[in-house]
Amino acid sequence: MKINTHSYLSQLGAAVNGKERYSFQENDNWTKELYVHLKLDYPKFHKMDGLSKMALLAVELIAEALPNQEITEEGLHLVFSNAGSSSDFDAKFINSYTELNMPSPSLFVYTLPNIVTGELAIKYKWYGESCFFIQKKFNASFFEEQLKFAFQKGASYCLCAWVEDHPLKTKECFVFLVENSTNLSLTEEVEKIYKQYKNE
Amino acid sequence: MSELKEKLKAQIIEQLNIEDMQVADIDDDVQLFNENGLGLDSIDALELIVLLDSQYGIKIENPAEGRMIFESINTLAAYIEKNS
Amino acid sequence: MPIGKNNNLGSMRNVYLKYGTLISPIGNGINAHFNAFITNTSGLNWVDSIGFNKENLPLGKISIPENNSLQFMLNSACEALIKEHTSDRLNSPKTCFIISSTKADLSQLPNDTFEPLRTILKAHFPTSNEPIIISNACISGVVALNLAAQYIQSERYDDSFVIGIDAISDFVIYGFQSLFALSDEMCQPFDKTRKGINLGEACGIIHLTSRKEKAFCVEYVSGKTSNDANHISGPSRTGEGLFRAVSNALKEAEISATDIDFISAHGTGTIFNDDMESIAFNRLGMQGIPLNSMKGYFGHTLGAAGVIETLICMLSMEHSMLFKSLGFDEQGTPESLNILSENQEKKCQYVLKTASGFGGGNAVLILKSVR
Repeated sequence: MKINTHSYLSQLGAAVNGKERYSFQENDNWTKELYVHLKLDYPKFHKMDGLSKMALLAVELIAEALPNQEITEEGLHLVFSNAGSSSDFDAKFINSYTELNMPSPSLFVYTLPNIVTGELAIKYKWYGESCFFIQKKFNASFFEEQLKFAFQKGASYCLCAWVEDHPLKTKECFVFLVENSTNLSLTEEVEKIYKQYKNE
Repeated sequence: MSELKEKLKAQIIEQLNIEDMQVADIDDDVQLFNENGLGLDSIDALELIVLLDSQYGIKIENPAEGRMIFESINTLAAYIEKNS
Repeated sequence: MPIGKNNNLGSMRNVYLKYGTLISPIGNGINAHFNAFITNTSGLNWVDSIGFNKENLPLGKISIPENNSLQFMLNSACEALIKEHTSDRLNSPKTCFIISSTKADLSQLPNDTFEPLRTILKAHFPTSNEPIIISNACISGVVALNLAAQYIQSERYDDSFVIGIDAISDFVIYGFQSLFALSDEMCQPFDKTRKGINLGEACGIIHLTSRKEKAFCVEYVSGKTSNDANHISGPSRTGEGLFRAVSNALKEAEISATDIDFISAHGTGTIFNDDMESIAFNRLGMQGIPLNSMKGYFGHTLGAAGVIETLICMLSMEHSMLFKSLGFDEQGTPESLNILSENQEKKCQYVLKTASGFGGGNAVLILKSVR
């Protein structure tokens, strides 16, 4: 397996394959700022939770590298993960019934972490396998283990993501597209790329 | 009535996070749930039920009823006038 | 799965499913559940003033003195494992635990809601591997079983314990009420007058292993997931994801749709879900295969559903007994299905378990009886 392309987003900016692509002017609504900058026309974006917004933008940044629809339709598998689940919208939904006294359906539907993979599947017409894992922290070797399984299951490509939107953690999204070519391990490379993005 | 309609448009934009539209962009008779209209979906319909309850004290018990009420700003405003 | 087929791995080990345990409002342990299913006894009960507007609702809620049913269920389930298995096996580096849950412990917010589950496992199995946690809405349980099977097939682990667990909370009750998806009557999956779901809570454990020990065994055959790519909270009108997942699983198993002897469907009791399943199964040519939904016994237990319903499938396979789809009386889906209106004696070779859920996910697995 081989890393084809990767991107990273946080409130500091957006980068693709290690190069800065955009740095944010505003701190409050930086996902919208990038949406406007990328000239996206997908009104549903504004209704999404933070996880879905970030993942959608991170994928848009690497959209050119995605294989064609014939391959992605079932041959692209998704391996997504974070530590905080859907806690940001969990808290917002709780607020809707405890403070506003009216449980909000549009908040409730985002109180599951795997909704992010569903939103991507809808936007790009991906019908393939997908799974969302809750991990204590970013774990490159775990991604590698899941990648092996995905390629054994017949995937041609895998889109991996670490996407976090949690009040006590760094709001960030790291995606990397992996293709099924050679059998080399990529744990160290993935670890290194992620650390570089985080300036660690 | 026209005041109510303008207020409704602003509330819909805010409640449903329709960020790429202004009040002036929404015609009174545009189909709210049509792809060529406002393009709202089933979750938006439920959120409109919440809006009617929280802002106008009108309860809709069956979402199927909502379909006719939420056809356009005109039908929605007429329903509110009649029931509040 | 027949050896040496279908992928880069070359030959793969066979995987067998064994009963772990099951804690639900029906009772504690596998036998209690067999007795309830054979007599078509539901675990659903009316609970007063539990809805957002203080409505009385039917729920599959366990009655315990403690508040936190999640912790109670997981502790009880772990204790049951300790009785059945050696400490060496449970704490072995070649054993993994996979947890399937949607909401875990919401009382922890803003801290990690899944952390209490890790803590409880660590307390019971101090040197075990860090558990793998899957959160894929209502398909989590089936996805977790499929992953566990891959771990055994690939020889990464020799034993895997899949724990499906979710508890009832105000959060999920109010949420499903806001979607108008909760029924204020006992749920009636696939029935003409169905009105929605009843929520339930449960913890089930299935043990997947490479060892075939008893005369009768349930063997894992194949499993797949597929997304509808249609809507995050409404099922596809054409059953697209379910159709694809079942087709792909049959292909991997190298059997045809009509080789399946019994389908344990998702059958939540909402109009849209059950309609969708009827369409998908008809597209697959599976409308004649006996089918049930177990939501009338447990309610919808979300992340636990795939695991606990697979446990009941294993009972059906072992005892050659298919259980009545509780709450079903009259066909009420656009395409007809062969829904079990009574218990039926039947020897099953192949069984299909399916699940569909929020996020547009569909997950399926195929099991085989080995005598």
